[in-house]
Amino acid sequence: MENSDVSTASTTTTPVVFTGKAGEFFGIWLVNILLSIVTLGIYSAWAKVRTLQYFYGNTSIDNHNFSYLATPMQILKGRILAVILFAVYTLTTQFLPMVGLAVIVAVLFLMPWLINQSLRFNSRMTSYRNVRFAFKGSYGYALLYFIILPILSVFTLYLLLPWALKKMDEYIYSNLSYGDKPLKTNISAVEYYSTSLIVLGVSIMFGVAVSIAVGAGAVAGGMSDGLNLDSLMSFAGVIMLVVYLILISVISAIYRARIRNHIFNNTEIEGLTTFTSKVSVSEYAMLLFVNTLAIVFTLGLAYPWTAIRQSAYLASVTELEIVDGAQAVLDTMEEQQSSFAEEAAEVFDVDIALT
Amino acid sequence: MTMIQGTYYYPASSKAEQAELLVKEGVAQLFLVEKQLDYSASSLKISSSIPGVAQEVVFEDGGKFVAADSKARIHAKPSMLERLESHKPLIAFSIVGVPLLLWFCFAVVMPRMAAASVVLVPDAVSETMGEQAFDIIEELMLKPSELAQERQQQVKQQWQSALTSLNLSPEKFVLHVYRSDYFGANAFALPNGTVVITDDLLNRLEDNPDAVLAILLHEIGHVQQQHSLRLIAQSVSNAIVLAMIFGDIDGIGEIIIGSGSTLVQNAFSRDMEREADNYALEQLVALGKPTTAFADAMSSFSELKKQSNADVLQYLSTHPEIQERIDNALKFNKE
Repeated sequence: MENSDVSTASTTTTPVVFTGKAGEFFGIWLVNILLSIVTLGIYSAWAKVRTLQYFYGNTSIDNHNFSYLATPMQILKGRILAVILFAVYTLTTQFLPMVGLAVIVAVLFLMPWLINQSLRFNSRMTSYRNVRFAFKGSYGYALLYFIILPILSVFTLYLLLPWALKKMDEYIYSNLSYGDKPLKTNISAVEYYSTSLIVLGVSIMFGVAVSIAVGAGAVAGGMSDGLNLDSLMSFAGVIMLVVYLILISVISAIYRARIRNHIFNNTEIEGLTTFTSKVSVSEYAMLLFVNTLAIVFTLGLAYPWTAIRQSAYLASVTELEIVDGAQAVLDTMEEQQSSFAEEAAEVFDVDIALT
Repeated sequence: MTMIQGTYYYPASSKAEQAELLVKEGVAQLFLVEKQLDYSASSLKISSSIPGVAQEVVFEDGGKFVAADSKARIHAKPSMLERLESHKPLIAFSIVGVPLLLWFCFAVVMPRMAAASVVLVPDAVSETMGEQAFDIIEELMLKPSELAQERQQQVKQQWQSALTSLNLSPEKFVLHVYRSDYFGANAFALPNGTVVITDDLLNRLEDNPDAVLAILLHEIGHVQQQHSLRLIAQSVSNAIVLAMIFGDIDGIGEIIIGSGSTLVQNAFSRDMEREADNYALEQLVALGKPTTAFADAMSSFSELKKQSNADVLQYLSTHPEIQERIDNALKFNKE
């Protein structure tokens, strides 16, 4: 709808279909954890690949599924590098605070490279219809958007922060391409500012409501001397925790839903497709809150169910409007072999990350 | 071997068509609409079999075949992992076994590994660490003592004679007296053996020098048992293992795991407080002092904090309940 100006060609609305099942993923997840513990974390690289292959393989558009192509060895190498980096960082900042300061500065300058590396790796390991995604970023812009702008925003009382967040998202999506077809994104800072204001407003309303409730509770507690103050306090603690979880669910739902909708609705792959995302804030907040409760009350065992539920919901509210002539474009589309070969030759063909 | 139905994608292209694949006796035969392609079976890159995921085959020329049925498998025998992942009894066992293993890993294995590895840390590291930390703390949180010189001398003499009797190095263990609004009535030790006690605490225990000694011995216990190094080693390794095993849990799950690991961490620091308590009690006995001195010191904290006996709070705290520590000291006396 918002993209009616993009192309005059007629389009076919195609849903994103997710076929993952909680029961199936539960078995994969448990074996992942079991073997990860038994192998002191080494298997976790295999675990990550199997988990992503499960989710990608069960996500399809127009009867073609996504594939995750990374090998466990690539993940393992990336993790070993990340562990070394993390250990150096923590140990120096903890043990040798003065040397630690130098390390913090070094890490700040390393960060843009790590972010680009990760985006490049994860895009290239994602394929649809035998064609990979690709990411082309530059160190300079990554440094500007992910390090300098957030630091500057602190000095502007965070007034700059929504704009910085918009710039980060814009950087990610406008540098992404599917095969040789770049994504075009046209997102607006207004959406980031209005979303931030709503999040702030809701947080303040929660704060006021909680203070009134606590005040009333204290008065009630003061009047009835029969009540044990200790048990009243623990009861209040539990209530506070629930309120806190609701608040977190609501504000992350507001932010994620609105921003995801905005990005999807304003991004296209020219000549191929536009996207629609219709995440409802209330439905998503409810989903996140129920997921949290399920994880808490099952001591984590409900995680596979919550992950499947979330992916299924997000897929169900996402659609593509595929341009009718897209089939012809797809058939002639080829992967850019040259850039692929050049990147594969890089020493660090890994995502240096712990997760 | 059976024929598998699926979709074929041309090399490095998204052009797709219906196809059938047959892998038999070292040969893979791919039947397309208009032609048939043969490959040697050993050149195929077959994706790992995962329950509920359609298997994919990448040919040496870059073409790709994806099975239409997520249950279809290229090899008749399912892989070990896939069998485990759909093995009902194993899954049932894991529901109980995984939490137990996790507990064992974080409560037994990691602390032992941390304790064993910090012994290998050279003294120079603890020294530099203590010096740098002390510089920062002194700059930000400590002010010169306002106690009378005689009082300060008296505490330091008591310290020196205790060090001599216990055969501890007076070069390593250095006592400082400071005034601090930040710490209030408190004492703390740094890994290089520097111990700081505050004016407020000395005032509180003015007429009980043995209680002061008990607290200082507790701080020496932290240094001798390398508690700060162990705590850091543990928190770093816990963070790494948690991130690797549960790294794919995002958002709220992260907060829960984070608070879970804080609780575990607090449990360890409570264990360390107990270890330091017992060290202090042993040394008090060695010095021929009454262990009730330690109980006295704890009681004075108890008056200070007016603590309630909320058991729920136990797991949130980094120190054991004071009453528990007093009881421990009194029991120690009897033994």
